[in-house]
Amino acid sequence: MENRLNLLNGPETAEFRQKFKIVSALLLIIFSILLIRLWYLQVIKGGELKQRSEINSVRFRKITPLRGLIMDRKGHLLVDNLPSFDVIYMPGKVKDHEQLIEKLKILYKKKSLQFSFDQSFPKIVKPYLPIKLEKNVGMEKVALVETNSMDLPGVYIDVSPVRLYLNGEMMAPVIGYTGEISKEELENGDEEFTYGDVLGKLGVEKALDAYIRGRNGAELVEVNVYDKEMKNLGRIEPVPGYNAVLTIDADLQKAAWHEFKGKAGAAVALDPRDGSVLAMVSSPSFDPHLFNSGIPYDQWNKLQNSPLAPMSNRAISGQYPPGSTYKLIVAAAALEEGIITPDTKFFCNGHFKMGNKTFRCWRKDGHGYISLHRAIVESCDVYFYNVGKLLGVDKIAKYAKLFGLGDASGIDLPNEKNGIVPTEQWKSARMKEPWQPGETISIAIGQGYDLVTPLQLVNAYSAFANGGTVWQPRLIKRIESIDGKTYKEFPPVKKGDLPLSKKTFDILSQALWGVVNEQGGTGGAARILNADVSGKTGTAQVISLPENEKGRRQKKIGVLLKDHALFVCYAPLKNPEIAVAVIVENAGHGGSVAAPIARKILEAYFEEKAKQPQVMAQNLTANKLNP
Amino acid sequence: MIFLKFDRRIFQNFDWTLMVLVLSICAIGILNIYSAGFTASERQFPFYLKQIQWIALGLIIMMVIFFIDYRLIMKGAYVIYGISVALLALVYIYGYTMHGSQRWLALGGFVFQPSELMKLTIIIALARYFDDHKSNEPYKLKELFVPFLIVIAPFLLILKQPDLGTALIIMIIFASIIFFVGVNWKSFLIALAGGLILIPIGWLFLKDYQKERLITFFNPENDPLGAGYHIIQSMIAVGSGGFFGKGFLNGSQTQLKFLPEQQTDFVFSVFAEEWGFIGGMVLIIMFISLILWGLKIALHARDLVGTIIAFGITALISWEIFINIGMVLGLLPVVGIPLPFLSYGGSAMVSLMAAMGLLMNINVRKFILQR
Repeated sequence: MENRLNLLNGPETAEFRQKFKIVSALLLIIFSILLIRLWYLQVIKGGELKQRSEINSVRFRKITPLRGLIMDRKGHLLVDNLPSFDVIYMPGKVKDHEQLIEKLKILYKKKSLQFSFDQSFPKIVKPYLPIKLEKNVGMEKVALVETNSMDLPGVYIDVSPVRLYLNGEMMAPVIGYTGEISKEELENGDEEFTYGDVLGKLGVEKALDAYIRGRNGAELVEVNVYDKEMKNLGRIEPVPGYNAVLTIDADLQKAAWHEFKGKAGAAVALDPRDGSVLAMVSSPSFDPHLFNSGIPYDQWNKLQNSPLAPMSNRAISGQYPPGSTYKLIVAAAALEEGIITPDTKFFCNGHFKMGNKTFRCWRKDGHGYISLHRAIVESCDVYFYNVGKLLGVDKIAKYAKLFGLGDASGIDLPNEKNGIVPTEQWKSARMKEPWQPGETISIAIGQGYDLVTPLQLVNAYSAFANGGTVWQPRLIKRIESIDGKTYKEFPPVKKGDLPLSKKTFDILSQALWGVVNEQGGTGGAARILNADVSGKTGTAQVISLPENEKGRRQKKIGVLLKDHALFVCYAPLKNPEIAVAVIVENAGHGGSVAAPIARKILEAYFEEKAKQPQVMAQNLTANKLNP
Repeated sequence: MIFLKFDRRIFQNFDWTLMVLVLSICAIGILNIYSAGFTASERQFPFYLKQIQWIALGLIIMMVIFFIDYRLIMKGAYVIYGISVALLALVYIYGYTMHGSQRWLALGGFVFQPSELMKLTIIIALARYFDDHKSNEPYKLKELFVPFLIVIAPFLLILKQPDLGTALIIMIIFASIIFFVGVNWKSFLIALAGGLILIPIGWLFLKDYQKERLITFFNPENDPLGAGYHIIQSMIAVGSGGFFGKGFLNGSQTQLKFLPEQQTDFVFSVFAEEWGFIGGMVLIIMFISLILWGLKIALHARDLVGTIIAFGITALISWEIFINIGMVLGLLPVVGIPLPFLSYGGSAMVSLMAAMGLLMNINVRKFILQR
């Protein structure tokens, strides 16, 4: 081909035309080759390849990894895995699914088994996208589906791991549950998430998901068009998740949970020495296994919308008025600010007037002339009304914040609430109204706008008990690989200091000891044999009633309007090892309802401790065996 | 100013043939991507909706380019070229890596692939060069040195990413254009010999997976689970479509995700599985019509630069279509080259639409411009 082109003459010359003819011819030849090849593949080899596409096809299939185990501080298993047998359906063409479901139903009926799928059948059935018909079915159904597999094209049994929560409801709001990934989680979550992954949805399962999730494996299998596996061709093993060791002591947890039968409320036990959570109870609870077999929508709704909120972890997201337990903070503030001395006395005649409003002491007849120590022991309200009036709300708030209130404690759990420590500024920002002096009076006894979570409350007392270190409460001790090697430690984290003088500590710790141990103390019900307990009762009004109407209307008041009972304590007196807060909703007085529960928890702790030398010896030998 | 004067004739002679052809092929593409993503996880905004957005953006750019006289654009040819190379260099430094290849630049909320733009700007730069250096004689080797430099810089940057397919396309475009403007046979043979010597050296620079693909191309059945997987699955998909196809949304190979890259490089197998030989033939005929129309525009352009641009663009899409479909049908090795207007991809779609705008531009101005 003579390649001569007179460019200077520009286009549309004879040479140009010639060249374009050549190019066009070449193009037609090339594209004819494509068409011939297409004909060859689709028409000549079409039948053969169609068969291949239907019978023998290779595809990747996801293998769900085992989720990490969750253990308590002593290595007792709290959460394990179980195999779940799921009935899967792979719709081939869009139309034929209804008939098949009918067939399955008839088979079930013969054995009088319930078919549980109706309610959640997807509106759009996509071809070749497997649908989970039923999750976590019994062996009877597995056998039935397997033996009738010839009549049920596209239906097969798939095995995947599900969670076994060994203590069921005992820790459900704390540990949480797992479930299939939601649309939002897929869109906003990790890159590696895929459709159908199982994720932690609440509590520890959610907080530690990245550690305990593990990594999906894959399998190369020859399948037929209905996704039935014909031959396994290769496999990438899934990576199991890391195990989590909590700071929880399962025995203590059990003891605490036991006390909440039929009650609503929360209890938290901390180790004041490092902020470790020893027990965390929230009642009522729920059965975390409900989610393993895919919870039906109405049941889910019921759980979500129940006025008792069984799925919320009250220990961290329940916000309560602290009531008289707040007096420790008010007293500390007054002593530090020099408003009072231990000898300062106020006269309590049962009520306190401020403007045209009257505030009452819980004891109608009053406490007479009373000093700080007895005012705490007997929980005199009028004393603290006077102190509060002298201090002012902002000074109280300053100390409350030092105690760690008004701000989430930072525990490794989702949905923690902040509580409220009101100040003048807070009110004007929030309600666009100036602070009323009368409101300070309520604040002084932990009523009004004050709100704390049980965890914040126990953490505040725990900081007082340990001599002034505010720890960030710690629920996760460490993450381990499956062979038990530590992967990540979660050391105690110090959040701040409680800058109280030695004198203030001494005065107040004596008073708290007196609450439980002195004549006339409100917390006597928390006394135990093995250790000196110090604490403070609280009764948080849900609704305030004039004193004279109380008795008459007590019967009329629904359960939900009764006072919350609070008790917060620590023991022993010297070098405290455990701090406990108990809140029982709408149950009445702190001293009579909450303190006995705290006593049970303390008893369980110190009885266990009495056995400890033996346990330590066991641990030592265990360590030698498994260095 | 003559270049920007809006002329009634621009509208009277609007290239409806090209517009209708392009939009029809795009519509087929949208349906096809919808099917390819039908059983996809619901994690992302569906690909077909994104593709519609890209097409819409492409149409806007197409119209903008259509209205600006291409001779004005050619004044800035080297600037456009320089910007494109600079963007490629930025990819090399700041590029965003996916699937082991650093090809993308993150711009605000989306990612952009400068190598797609490069395909078009190479054509513009070469057209400008040969227009500036018109000759009555076939070009000799030393006259081709500057064009070679124009091509080699982006070629190396793209090869480095690595993106074998696009680098290959750049070289093929270069070869097509110098063949078109005319090259001295002796020079051509010397260049070819040089190229052949470079192949074994280039082999050393290939990534393992690229070598593997080339090797398995010649013997796919030997390694059905590894690199041959793509070719076999693609051929099964196409073949099982038969004469009439399995029907829209009913391609089992597609819906079962046997096909790799089924929204991008392997879209044609999705289409062929569901629409059969009939569909495949109709699509190929539409492509041939588009190409012949492009050649017609090149032939009747009012000046040499218009001819070279139109020819270059037509050559680009012809080669991409041929290599992509050839690969899907198991005739050519698997190299990542998208199928024009059908493969999912924003940068490619917008660049193609810009190219179509240029074609229309050249076509309509033959009615307006005086020689």
